[in-house]
Amino acid sequence: MSEPLSVDALTDSQRTALRRLILRLADTKRLLGIRFSDWLLGAPSIETGIAASSMAQDEWGHARLLYSMLKSFGEDPVEVERDRAREAYANAPAVDHEFADWAEVVAGMVVVDGAMTALLAGFAEGRFELASNRIPKMLGEEEFHRDMGLAWLRSLAGSAGRGRVTEAIRAFLPGTLAWMAPGDDAEAELAEAGVIPSGAETLERFRSVYGEAFQALGVSIETSGAGDDFDAARGRGPGAPDEETVERARGDRNRALFVE
Amino acid sequence: MGITVRMPTLDAGLPAHVSIHKSGGRDLWSEPMTVPPADPGAAVVECLKEVLDPEIPISLVDLGLIYGTSIEEGVVTVQLTFTATACPCMEFIKEDIRDRLEQESWVSGVRLEEVWDPPWTTARITPQGRERLRQLGVGAV
Repeated sequence: MSEPLSVDALTDSQRTALRRLILRLADTKRLLGIRFSDWLLGAPSIETGIAASSMAQDEWGHARLLYSMLKSFGEDPVEVERDRAREAYANAPAVDHEFADWAEVVAGMVVVDGAMTALLAGFAEGRFELASNRIPKMLGEEEFHRDMGLAWLRSLAGSAGRGRVTEAIRAFLPGTLAWMAPGDDAEAELAEAGVIPSGAETLERFRSVYGEAFQALGVSIETSGAGDDFDAARGRGPGAPDEETVERARGDRNRALFVE
Repeated sequence: MGITVRMPTLDAGLPAHVSIHKSGGRDLWSEPMTVPPADPGAAVVECLKEVLDPEIPISLVDLGLIYGTSIEEGVVTVQLTFTATACPCMEFIKEDIRDRLEQESWVSGVRLEEVWDPPWTTARITPQGRERLRQLGVGAV
């Protein structure tokens, strides 16, 4: 890795691109944590529900560390977490709404969490110092998520749920891959600065983990990147998380009880 | 024959300055030093050895969570990490560290620096910590 990079050393457009990347990761982790937490009492077994709860806890811990990177941009991470409208969220579209069934939870593990981890791994190897300091711990925790997702995928692939989980993966994959590796100017700018690898490399990293398992379901990992309706400011496709989700992420009901 | 049940008071066993959280192990803290230590740096570490993890009753030092300490003009800086990014005891731990150190007259302030590099793993638990865990029936690989 070449010389570490701080926010102060970035050009304005690089700063904008880096802030977008951090928000995309933090928001997705925040909302994926909510999605996982919904299944503590609805998973196929008690043990799996507890695992989902632990994964939710991890995702929120990761989101917290990612949001706190915004301090180096002169922003208050607490305000970013609690005071944004849903239209400002930069999460992967697959977590905009609650997961309909366990097949979607598994698809969330392998597609959304997998894509985030591929992106984070490249970010950790890049020049942005806060990422190389903080993300390795997250990646260590994500190893358990990967194992859990792949174990469930293998299990469902040999069961009556094969068709449903395949359908869920097919539904989540295009929007998530376009989010992970949009192939747009901001991504190229960060790759040029050595902050993240190219989108093609990130895609290959994702494929190296999940390609075989997806292939067994007849799903190939291909993306054409951002479409015409891609929101370049947020770095995601069109749409936004639903209001109830954002109210939960912001903690609206407990706003009067915040003690920090 | 009547039975008298003696209820513990809220502050039973706790130093007088402790007024917020009542994390386990505070009753084991030493009384504040009456004389400033000859080696404040070493004394800081000794103080931290008395602060227990709220969930696993071994010290933060033995658990390997303390990455560094320094003291300058009475202000102690502690670099610490956590076992997990979403450790639910972060605030308790920070508060315990502050309270333990600030009870000392030679400490005028405490700065806590949260660090994540290198990532904590069980390999950071000291031999003493492993032995204590073993006594508690907990294995650490």
